[in-house]
Amino acid sequence: MALKKISGKTAMKKASSKKNSDSQTKRLPLLGFGALFGYFLSKSGATDYDTIINMFRPQNVHIDHSPAGLSFHLESLQLYGVIGVAIAVIALGLLLLESSGKTTRSGKPLDWEPLKWDTDRLMGSFIFGAGWALSGACPGTSLAQLGEGKCVALFTVIGILAGVWAYRKYRPKAVDKEQVC
Amino acid sequence: MGFLTTLLNLLFSQSWSWWAAGLGIGLTALGLAWFTGRRLGVTGGFEDALTAMESKSSPMNWKFWFILGIPLGSFLANIGHWNWTWLYGRLDAITYGNIYIKVLWLLVGGFLVGFGARWAGGCVSGNSIMGISTGNKMSLAVTLGFLVAGIIVTNLIFSFFKVM
Repeated sequence: MALKKISGKTAMKKASSKKNSDSQTKRLPLLGFGALFGYFLSKSGATDYDTIINMFRPQNVHIDHSPAGLSFHLESLQLYGVIGVAIAVIALGLLLLESSGKTTRSGKPLDWEPLKWDTDRLMGSFIFGAGWALSGACPGTSLAQLGEGKCVALFTVIGILAGVWAYRKYRPKAVDKEQVC
Repeated sequence: MGFLTTLLNLLFSQSWSWWAAGLGIGLTALGLAWFTGRRLGVTGGFEDALTAMESKSSPMNWKFWFILGIPLGSFLANIGHWNWTWLYGRLDAITYGNIYIKVLWLLVGGFLVGFGARWAGGCVSGNSIMGISTGNKMSLAVTLGFLVAGIIVTNLIFSFFKVM
């Protein structure tokens, strides 16, 4: 009796998984890439409030000259290095993929839409920058902070959700514009 | 034994140098593009979560699954010394160690981040990392906007509160 029940359930599961196999097979790799992103964000120091503040207000940045040679004190600028290396790796990697004639494994084109030139966006970028400075977090790092056990990040995440919601509510005409995030 | 300890420390507790972490982020974005055809970006996942909260039956978009992985990864990166904490660097000094001020501060900051990210068409991942590396002018301008506002606001706050 019990066995029958279980086999019935698994049969149902199989049927439903066949139905949306496309969306289901993709979830695990997406979760994995998200985990990799969170892992490296955490390793980069971008989840640390003081490191973010150092990026906006660099301290003690100098180069020492001594008979032994030059020594660099650029720790405050590390996040510029992180972003710079990431940009270089992606730009180079995409060029290589494009020149190989196949940009994705499946051969389909990338589902990318670049931002069109629109100075209205700049106001949004200033608001974002102010929020980044206040909270010491951006949407990605706020989630990474949660995983690190930083309890206060919960309120940053709630704030971001509220901000996204408010934008949709109060600028409904602008919501249909293209987004790269 | 010594080597293993060093390796475990490196993987699960220490921070990495800027070039190694940047390389990791870059390869992650390339891997996501190659295997799924997707563009790395985070804020859209927040939008997906909101949509799902509003209409309970709505299916989750791909980006929701991507951002769900982020805390898992950062958890692993620190598992060697993991613990809950209410501390938040120099912001504790600015908010006089008062948890209510700190919570309010972060709610306001987060709100501006979410509102600004949608207005700007993307956050740091979408604009500053993916946008610039694909040579988009608007994304570069938006990134400069992030930095200009961040620099001004940070310096105003830290001069006002006289915190180093």
